[in-house]
Amino acid sequence: MKKALQVTVACLLAASMLGISACSGDKGTPDPTKSTELTGVAAIIAQAEGMTNQELFLKAIEESNGKTLNGIGNSSRGATAATAFIAALQAIDPSYTGKIEWNQPKNNSIFTLLNADVTSATHNYSMTLIQDGNQIQTKMINTGNLLNYIPKDWRDATGVNVVDNGTPLALQTLSKVFMFNNLDSDADYSNVWSFVTEDSAPMFMGVNSEPVGKNFLYMLTEPTYAGYLKAAFDKLPADQQAYFQNTVDEVAGDVSGLGLEGENAKYALAWIKLWVTQYNEKTDDGPICNELVTTSASGQSALIVYSKLRSVEESTTASATNVTIAAYQDGYVGPGGFGYKHYLMIPKTSPLPWTAAAFISFMVTEYDGFAAWGKDIGGYSANPAINQDHSKDGFIDGVNKFPANNDKGYDWWTSATGGRLVLEDPVYAAKVSANLSDWIDVAASS
Amino acid sequence: MPAASCALIASRKRRGKFSRASSAFVNVGKVSMSLDTTVAPPLAPLPVGSPTGSPVLRRVTTYFSKPQNGLLLVLGIVVTITTLAPLFSILIDTITVHPGSVDSERTGLMSGYTIFNWSDLVDRSSFVKERLFAQNFWNPTVNTVLMSALSCLFAIVYGGFFAYLVTRTNLKFKKYLSAIFIFPYMMPQWTLAVVWQNLFKSSAVTGGSDGLLAAVFDVHAPAWFCQGLFPSFVVLGLHYSAFSYILIGAIFRNMDANLEEAAVILNTAKWKVFSRITLPMITPAIMSTILLVFSSSMGSYPVPHYLKFSTLTTRYVEMSVNRQGQASILAVEMMVFGIIMLVANQLTTSGRKSYTTVTGKSGQTQEVNLGAIGKWLIASVFVVLTLFTSLYPMFSFALETFLPNPGDYSFLTGGGFESLTTKWWITSENLSENGMYGQLGVLYNSTIWKGFAGQFWVAAMSALAAGTIGTLVGYCVAKNRRSRWANFVNNMAFLPYLMPSLAVGVAFFIFGSSMGIFNTFLLLIIAGTIKYIPFASRASLNSMLQLSNEIEESAIIQDIPWWKRMLRIIVPIQKSSIISGYMLPFMTALREMTLFMLLCSQTKIITTELNYFDEMGLYAFSSAINLMLIITILICNAVVNKLTDASLDKGIGGN
Repeated sequence: MKKALQVTVACLLAASMLGISACSGDKGTPDPTKSTELTGVAAIIAQAEGMTNQELFLKAIEESNGKTLNGIGNSSRGATAATAFIAALQAIDPSYTGKIEWNQPKNNSIFTLLNADVTSATHNYSMTLIQDGNQIQTKMINTGNLLNYIPKDWRDATGVNVVDNGTPLALQTLSKVFMFNNLDSDADYSNVWSFVTEDSAPMFMGVNSEPVGKNFLYMLTEPTYAGYLKAAFDKLPADQQAYFQNTVDEVAGDVSGLGLEGENAKYALAWIKLWVTQYNEKTDDGPICNELVTTSASGQSALIVYSKLRSVEESTTASATNVTIAAYQDGYVGPGGFGYKHYLMIPKTSPLPWTAAAFISFMVTEYDGFAAWGKDIGGYSANPAINQDHSKDGFIDGVNKFPANNDKGYDWWTSATGGRLVLEDPVYAAKVSANLSDWIDVAASS
Repeated sequence: MPAASCALIASRKRRGKFSRASSAFVNVGKVSMSLDTTVAPPLAPLPVGSPTGSPVLRRVTTYFSKPQNGLLLVLGIVVTITTLAPLFSILIDTITVHPGSVDSERTGLMSGYTIFNWSDLVDRSSFVKERLFAQNFWNPTVNTVLMSALSCLFAIVYGGFFAYLVTRTNLKFKKYLSAIFIFPYMMPQWTLAVVWQNLFKSSAVTGGSDGLLAAVFDVHAPAWFCQGLFPSFVVLGLHYSAFSYILIGAIFRNMDANLEEAAVILNTAKWKVFSRITLPMITPAIMSTILLVFSSSMGSYPVPHYLKFSTLTTRYVEMSVNRQGQASILAVEMMVFGIIMLVANQLTTSGRKSYTTVTGKSGQTQEVNLGAIGKWLIASVFVVLTLFTSLYPMFSFALETFLPNPGDYSFLTGGGFESLTTKWWITSENLSENGMYGQLGVLYNSTIWKGFAGQFWVAAMSALAAGTIGTLVGYCVAKNRRSRWANFVNNMAFLPYLMPSLAVGVAFFIFGSSMGIFNTFLLLIIAGTIKYIPFASRASLNSMLQLSNEIEESAIIQDIPWWKRMLRIIVPIQKSSIISGYMLPFMTALREMTLFMLLCSQTKIITTELNYFDEMGLYAFSSAINLMLIITILICNAVVNKLTDASLDKGIGGN
């Protein structure tokens, strides 16, 4: 019996040590002294950044013919883009038989999986389409596990902003916008503070189940966006100002402790506190949209992905006409929603880096590459040349039947005089998240 | 007469002497599930050969001359490593630094190990820390215990009462009710939660749009009824009441009625007969139900998730964003509950010896007369109840696949039947949006069918592996009844069953990720195998304990090799139990989601896909998948029934 126990303990220790060694592999910050001489995937990326799409595609064909590239991403449409990419390669070389296997893991597990893949003995994932700038910065970029790649054809394209969308490379900016059911004529959502009034409970995905929602709250404390909130606060009637002022005063003392800057940060904190205590948490934007468009949701509001409106089937109790986009109203003040990005990156252990680079370049430079996302309202490529015009999507036979579906486009949505989208900045979100995350969680539980 | 035949005959004679309904074993038709982790008194070992050499060598040779000993050693090592290694992975994860998590931010470390996660989780040194402690640890823990305990209570009262009615009274419609009562157990558990939500939500109370009752009848249920603790434990209780019915019903059915009759003759009051005689006799089954339902409820993620109730599982998922190490501590906490369950199980089964004197097979059961009206009235009540808990969900699933938008009942409120659509089934292109979020109809949706095939494959392979390993574990443990090692292997094989599914899933997630086998069928099959070995090992052990050693001994004297003895004697005799040991894991894995949800991409298997569609609000697809799963399980149940004469409800009152 003792012997058996000893054997068992030995086996367990061996197994656990395997686990430790697998878990505790190269997790440290990349040594900057070693970055002068690029090797492996980083070196290939450096070469790829100087190549045109045609050159890259030939490299991809050479590298992955007969092989399978494993991609992992937050958007299921990566699979559609992959099909188009394979077709593009086969147009160059009909004998090409490479495949792309697209994986969409649940919730937040993509970060654990990518890190585990990088640190394990064998590597599966060649590229990723990933969201949540905060976690990408802290878990992937700071660790050096994901590498950035900027395609030449994208950098050279007209209208591309390399500073804003190149580090890391953004596939697109997705918008989540404030909207409300307009069947209650008394419902007034002309100010962003209307969504946090005492009796308001906007439908929204849980900030801990979809972290981009939490990033939106972090970004509100950034001086520009806090300024939007302050400006909106100033436009409120006196009685409403008095109501919100209590919360503003209550949180004012927390500003410095949270490391926030700017005199308007307290307005951001007040709005955030009211929001997290009042919003009606739902599992996804799809069910929220399904509910918001019904006649029984009269006067209800939501903050959801704009493109969800495309999937409403008209019936006697459900219609896209029942919904108004808050920012499209004349005189609306404050942010009209927020924008978060889908980033394209390559693991430092990518088994097929040339093909990964070619696939990424395909998605950000070619119409067919972005079509899987570009066909919808609310999603904007960082490359204006491959965006589609959706400004008249609400028109049926020349009649403006569904005004909510007429997308005013990225420039309008992000301008200070238009939709004032709160845009995700990975560096800022990562900077404030350490303290603000707990503050938000505590506020939510109060 | 060949030796094997002699043995077979001997075994049949011998089996007749065994009590079929010892309370130590809960017979589910031919499927035996017991929580007995102790082993029966020893039978004299059979000396084989007389090895020579040193005493140690002689002992080793003697020990390994019996195949079951070598097999037990190998199985013990395999089961121990596969059960404990993932648990060690979680423990290590609680002290590992996770870049991007609070442990890294607060310690300044990018790698290595720290105890920060443990100290921070229980830190109550300031107001903020106090609130975080409550939100991340204390409240989920209390909520989980409450939800699990109330689920147990509900399942035992509802399922147990129904079991009593079916087995001990002259209730009408027994066959129908028995079959329909277990439907909720066949469905993935969160589907009832979604049905509940869609039925009771209302714009006035829960916000958003009206559910069916509010939209059609203007009935607005209160908030506590729509979401939170109440619906969570009711849904879980309904799901597991079928389990309770099966376990308690088996005891009721085989219970000796002589004592109750004696009490009646002595003019004992009915409540006294029930509390002093009936209840003690079914205590082991109640304890079994409590242990199994408690641990299963505790590990449920989707039910509290959909019904907005913060538990350890929902908090685990939320905290994994920036408190990954602390989330792993919650998984460890769930596992500790599992170990407590195992210890409680040991204590209750050892104390259960006192019941064996009153649970010998009698065969004299007498139906309690519910009265001319009572038997119809009570049956009618249950017909109505099961209408809501079993048939309405099926009807709701079917109806949902024809609605124009998810939850859009406009055909009832003025739209007419022309509002209904078949688009969710027959759309064969995704060029026209058609309100389908870019998906093809179910009949043309290759993702759905691939997921279904994937689930089938995982279920089949897990069942094959779990069935084989579990059967061998049961056989070897039965053959080494006195051995402490056998007891240890037996407990180790049973431990995963008492571990919450999510905790086991987390363990395999960390283990699989570090081994580079995430999102592979291999990882799913390994997890499924380990989790479901207890089904087979229990069924096998219980049946093997009924076999006398004499059965094999006569074959051993004839020098029949071990493998031949197994294939020609043991397996044919215990065919039903062994097949059940394969089929139960298969049917359970076919609708398993919580265990697998962290181990693969969402389209790999059908249950994760079903959950994806539910979360996306595409209830037509999730409903269609639900129907597919239920029909598949019903077909499998029928096939098992045909092949082995066993089914989930058969033997209790269904047939």
